[in-house]
Amino acid sequence: MAGPDFDDMIENAPCGYITLRADTRIEHVNRTFLAWSGHAADRMVGKRLSDFLTFPGRIYFETHIAPLLRMQGFFNEFAIDMLTAAGDPLQTIANAIERRDSDGNALGIRIALIKATDRRRYEMELLSAKDLAVTAEKATQELLRLENETSQFREQFIAVLGHDLRNPLASISAGARILDRTVQSEQEHRVTAMLQSTVIRMSAMIDNVLDFARGRLGGGITQQRDARRPLQPELEQVVDELRMGSPGREILADFAIDRPVNCDRTRVGQLLSNLLGNALTHGTSAQPVVVHAETHDGSFELWVANAGEPIPEVAMEKLFEPFFRGEARASRQGLGLGLYIASQIAKAHDGYLTVSSSPKETRFTFTMPSN
Amino acid sequence: MSGVIERNNVNVRGAGDRAIVFGHGFGCDQNMWRFVAPAFEKDFETVTFDQVGAGGSDLAAYDKSKYSSLSGYADDLVEIGRELELEDAIFVGHSVSGMIGVLAAQKAPGMFGKLVLVGPSARYIDDDGYVGGFSAAQIEELLRFLESNHMGWSTQMAPAIMGNPDRPELGEELTNSFCRTDPEIAKAFARVTFTSDNRKDLAGVAIPTLILQCKEDIIASLEVGEFVNRNIPGSRMIVLDATGHCPNLSAPKEVVAAMRTFV
Repeated sequence: MAGPDFDDMIENAPCGYITLRADTRIEHVNRTFLAWSGHAADRMVGKRLSDFLTFPGRIYFETHIAPLLRMQGFFNEFAIDMLTAAGDPLQTIANAIERRDSDGNALGIRIALIKATDRRRYEMELLSAKDLAVTAEKATQELLRLENETSQFREQFIAVLGHDLRNPLASISAGARILDRTVQSEQEHRVTAMLQSTVIRMSAMIDNVLDFARGRLGGGITQQRDARRPLQPELEQVVDELRMGSPGREILADFAIDRPVNCDRTRVGQLLSNLLGNALTHGTSAQPVVVHAETHDGSFELWVANAGEPIPEVAMEKLFEPFFRGEARASRQGLGLGLYIASQIAKAHDGYLTVSSSPKETRFTFTMPSN
Repeated sequence: MSGVIERNNVNVRGAGDRAIVFGHGFGCDQNMWRFVAPAFEKDFETVTFDQVGAGGSDLAAYDKSKYSSLSGYADDLVEIGRELELEDAIFVGHSVSGMIGVLAAQKAPGMFGKLVLVGPSARYIDDDGYVGGFSAAQIEELLRFLESNHMGWSTQMAPAIMGNPDRPELGEELTNSFCRTDPEIAKAFARVTFTSDNRKDLAGVAIPTLILQCKEDIIASLEVGEFVNRNIPGSRMIVLDATGHCPNLSAPKEVVAAMRTFV
């Protein structure tokens, strides 16, 4: 059996094969490359390799390939674009080696080329995908930065607004207290009491508005839980304030908190204030409003009940949505945020707020785990 | 911020009263001078360095805006000269480093006493009667093509190359390292190289200048070399028998011989 036909192996190899002389002029081109490129052998031999490279290929050959071959003797896996006889680019991936004599002088270069049209297209797609991702990332970062800026501005705005609204209210309240000490008639006392009541309602509204703004625009309902400090005095103070603001109304409070409750006391006080305020506004004045709080095994329950017209069926569904306002005298209308904030406070404590309403009694109940 | 010596991976060898500083061009690093610089070590102090962004330079020092013009590279060369307290030294610049030398010589008079420009071009793009050999569209084509040859520069490889240029166990990994550059930096350097225009700076060269021009060079043609020679006052040009753009690698003996007639 005859040995392998080396000539045929080179000429019809599954890759293009080009050899250059020491002066980088073309010495030989195999048939595979001639078929790919459409060039005739006699048109290539003796010419510079550069004559058969695209413009970038020529620059790349001079600045990278030729120097690297001189310095390290080989260069693998480089992209190089050849030119076909028709002048179109023939994209290839190539390996090259430099042949040297014993003194290290270059004797010539051998280049093996693999067609890489699809691969190059794929690489270009990857590159443009990367560019897109980088651009998108930049845009996102910019949006995020703007959003952070806006959010910080909002926080500041809310803090300043709260401060500026509360200050004049404190002055009114102090003024009403001073007046109350000096006025004589029953009618005058009623006026100062009304002033105090308005201050309390206004102050609750400010709290609710600020919490709503914060909850919707950023931070959410903030809370600082502390199980060590007693909850009852906080609730009693809320009841006292509303009593003072609603002369002539009876509020029955019944507290049985005998275990620590891991909650934000101010927040639970705010929740009670909102529920109690509602009960006083919507309930009948003919019967007392009842406040009850107690701890069970592992849970805390607080409810506020009033008598009077039940809540209409249609209103029940929307009760805890922001800006929902029930029927009430215009002078007692709130913003419609009280129950929404109360429900948010309940949620922040892993608890819930429920309502039951019948002609006999309307009752809002807050339940939360006590630890 | 690293010192100038680390930043530019400056290597000083040899001994002599005068120093020869070798600057490399676009593509590879100071290894471009490996067959030429040693020939002068007996009579001169030889200085080789990597442009920031190339070879063993400190990539963290790469500042897009500074290196968006050749002037930024010339500032680095001046800083290297000051650090080494060079006076009346010889600067040998290959390719784009030729113009970097032209700029540096004018920024720091006295630092360099002679210039050798190997394959220089004051402007690569053809312009109103001037023949540079390139068109603006071709430059854009080149920049796009450079993206195809990242030479194994992947995010995984980058730290190894940047952090451990001398670790022999990474030997195989560091294949091509002489010419391997972060693709973004390679593109930026190609842009500044091939779009620069230093024709007006040639007249300001006030020191003896030798131009080494290859007989056949598709990057810097004979015509381009002659333009440089004509516009630098009192310069001299030697046309080498070598072909290609890198006679310092392909014909080092000829380059050394030509330089000896001048230095």
